[in-house]
Amino acid sequence: MVVKWIASVSLAVLAAQAALVTAQEAAVQVAAAVPEFRADEGAEQRTEFRTLDEETQDLKKQVLDLNRDLFLLEEELLFPSNTQTAVFISMDVGEFFGLDSVELKIDDKDVANYLYTEREAEALLKGGVQRLFIGNLKAGEHELVAVFTGQGPHTRDYRRAASVIFEKGIGPKYIELTISDRETKQQPEFVVKEWE
Amino acid sequence: MRERMKALWSGAALAALLAVAGSGFAATQLVGAEAPDFVLKSLSGKNLRLSEYRGEVVMLSFWATWCGDCRAQLEELGTMRDRYQDAGIELLAVSLDQTAHQASETAQGAGYPVLHDAGGEVGRLYDVTKMPVMVLIDRGGVVRDVFEGFRRGNEEQYLERVQALLRE
Repeated sequence: MVVKWIASVSLAVLAAQAALVTAQEAAVQVAAAVPEFRADEGAEQRTEFRTLDEETQDLKKQVLDLNRDLFLLEEELLFPSNTQTAVFISMDVGEFFGLDSVELKIDDKDVANYLYTEREAEALLKGGVQRLFIGNLKAGEHELVAVFTGQGPHTRDYRRAASVIFEKGIGPKYIELTISDRETKQQPEFVVKEWE
Repeated sequence: MRERMKALWSGAALAALLAVAGSGFAATQLVGAEAPDFVLKSLSGKNLRLSEYRGEVVMLSFWATWCGDCRAQLEELGTMRDRYQDAGIELLAVSLDQTAHQASETAQGAGYPVLHDAGGEVGRLYDVTKMPVMVLIDRGGVVRDVFEGFRRGNEEQYLERVQALLRE
């Protein structure tokens, strides 16, 4: 009887141990399965984000391309090459002149008036070229007058005009106004160049 | 005396012009839109362009010497600018006076840039129909608030909005 009881108890203990082991194994399995599941989800999300990011970048590029095409198309429509005239401004050295503003007249008509900030003047000094004006002019002779104001040698207020009579042909016309230093005279020089 | 009378007359003329202009648009319509860019000569002689302040919160104030509320507003804005300058804020005070001389007398010693809108072009660009007008522009160059007129106590409202924009 006692032996029977001991045997049943030991069987019960063994069964309980087996159940515990099974439960532990199951717990380990579950524990292993959960992070595995999370890692998979994270990887999926990362891929999704990457795809989204790539798509956004593609879209941005497309928008930029479209913007550029539209800009070119607009320029072509507004300023056809047979009438297009553009005036650019550049600076070389600039030791004798600090640019403040430029007033541009074509055929005695004000077409541009520009006030320069310190940053803009610095950008010109570093080699930047600014398109001051773009417009349409019919073929023939035209007069351009540019009035420059700023600080001349010894930080004195300075106002100078440069003019040119140019011939507008059938192609686009580009004119460059260059401010440079004339070392021999210790004065700024304002040069007008024509480009075909 | 003569100078004073001249200033008063010019002030009255500008007030009349603003009243006529006020029948249509108002600066408040600009909220949410990109702040119109402009370049003006400051009283220090430098040319300043609004778009060069991108990245900073800008308090753009339109004022005139004959307007008492404008002077009170500028005083408050100047204090706020001094306090938060390191956090990235700038005050641009655009004077709509007829001459730069009038503006320079009032704005003497101001630590912030005072600009003179000689032809009133920038005032028209911002549809200034009342005085003073303060346009609050965020770091991205978008108009976020427009405050027309000024009463003591309004500075609390300004401060709240400025702090919110600085936190963005």
